[in-house]
Amino acid sequence: MGYLFDALRAMGTTLVTAFRKPTTVEFPAVIRPRAERYRASFALPDDEHGELACIGCLACERICPSQVIKMKPTGKRDSPVTGKKRQYVDTFVLDLSACIGCELCVQVCNSDAIRMTREPEVPVFSREDLVLDLERLRANARDKTMSWGKGSELQERQEPPKVEKKVAPKPEAPPVAPAVPVVGEAR
Amino acid sequence: MSPLAHGAAYGAVIVTVLLTIVALTIWFERKLAGRMQSRLGPTMVGPIGLLQPIADVLKLLQKEDIIPTDADRGLFNVAPVLAVLVSLGAAAVVPFSPSTIAADLDVGVLYVLAIGGVMVIPTFAAGWGSNNKFALLGAMRGVAQSVSYGVPLVLATLVPVILAGTLSLSGIVTWQSHHHWIAVWPVIPGLPAFFVFFLALLAESNRIPFDIPEAESELVAGVTTEYTGAKFTLFYMGEYLHTLVGSAVAATLFFGGWDGPFAPGLPWMVGKTLVLFATVYWVRWSLLRFRADQLMELCWKRLTPLAVALVLLAAAWVQFGPGGSE
Repeated sequence: MGYLFDALRAMGTTLVTAFRKPTTVEFPAVIRPRAERYRASFALPDDEHGELACIGCLACERICPSQVIKMKPTGKRDSPVTGKKRQYVDTFVLDLSACIGCELCVQVCNSDAIRMTREPEVPVFSREDLVLDLERLRANARDKTMSWGKGSELQERQEPPKVEKKVAPKPEAPPVAPAVPVVGEAR
Repeated sequence: MSPLAHGAAYGAVIVTVLLTIVALTIWFERKLAGRMQSRLGPTMVGPIGLLQPIADVLKLLQKEDIIPTDADRGLFNVAPVLAVLVSLGAAAVVPFSPSTIAADLDVGVLYVLAIGGVMVIPTFAAGWGSNNKFALLGAMRGVAQSVSYGVPLVLATLVPVILAGTLSLSGIVTWQSHHHWIAVWPVIPGLPAFFVFFLALLAESNRIPFDIPEAESELVAGVTTEYTGAKFTLFYMGEYLHTLVGSAVAATLFFGGWDGPFAPGLPWMVGKTLVLFATVYWVRWSLLRFRADQLMELCWKRLTPLAVALVLLAAAWVQFGPGGSE
């Protein structure tokens, strides 16, 4: 008898659901609003003088957790545009197939030279198409919408909040260093 | 027109219409299941996904036809064909309207029950012929279940037979059109008898919640484990046909078949059949599967005694009640 009531309740639930609006969103036709920090692919934008902003400092290559960035910096030379000495990159390869989208490379870039793009998924027909070289990264910078952050902005967010220094009298005693070494420090 | 020519002509029409309806019901079921799970169901193939069954069948027909090495080829090949034929065979005596009936047998009810009993043969042939443990286990469960539930099914069928005093399906419908639908009046043997019939029908056609013969979590796919491509399509179709024809028989026996006000017989019959059919799928997408022992307990300890009591009540109604057969 208990089963009968449970069965009727289950059928009631499905009946009610059948007359509700389905929750499905028909994806390719309807795209739900994406999150503010949504990001997908990469781009290497130019700087304000119209040359590639990347100075080949290797910061992004070093921090990348899945090591998908490989670049070959040139030595320092004079810029043909500004005349100042700076470095360039010969090759810059980013393997999107192993990228985890952590955005660390963008955060460490001091020259705002690598950005993430906001275009939706990046489906391709072969794995080779996921390997972005310098040319494609620059093309992305021209064609695609950029995602929310750039290096300088993100670094600013990382800094500790600035506390206004009070010009107050100094505390009477400086903090005493602990006599016993902190456990675990002497490894 | 000779009975043979009449049967052939109407049979051809009914088979064609039934197969078309089956294609549409597959679409209908997928839509229904989708809505019950807050999904949309098929939308891409054709307007609102109407051509989805055709796409499904085309996909299945393209698949490789695999026969297991040590299979009993004869049984393996004949089982899916039998499954469809048996289901179609039962449709022969169902009166779809006062005139649309392929063979108006005097013993139509007996014929339907006999054909339903034959259904265990394709099931077991497939299970045995596949030479596969899961298929054989599924087949044995299926046979045990169908044979057990045959008892309450036959007993529940006896209620309309006793009330109407005839074994002919069209006779039962005619009686109902003169008196009342059997599920409506006399309500005490009528409605419970319909429920027993309906449950036994679900079990006979191995539908959820009685689908232990193909319990996916235990038996891969039961008897259809080794079937691919066209033969699997036949089984799939046979399953839907069985449910559809079973719904038609239930509508005939308990809900007055083609009888109804304001409209000719055929729309009423099709409408009632589809409502019952939708109920089968409503149950399917709502309930869980019984365990084998619970299944047998429900059959032998609940439904069979209940059905016997209903038959006695129906007999008492005819003998002593206000309205008898004549």
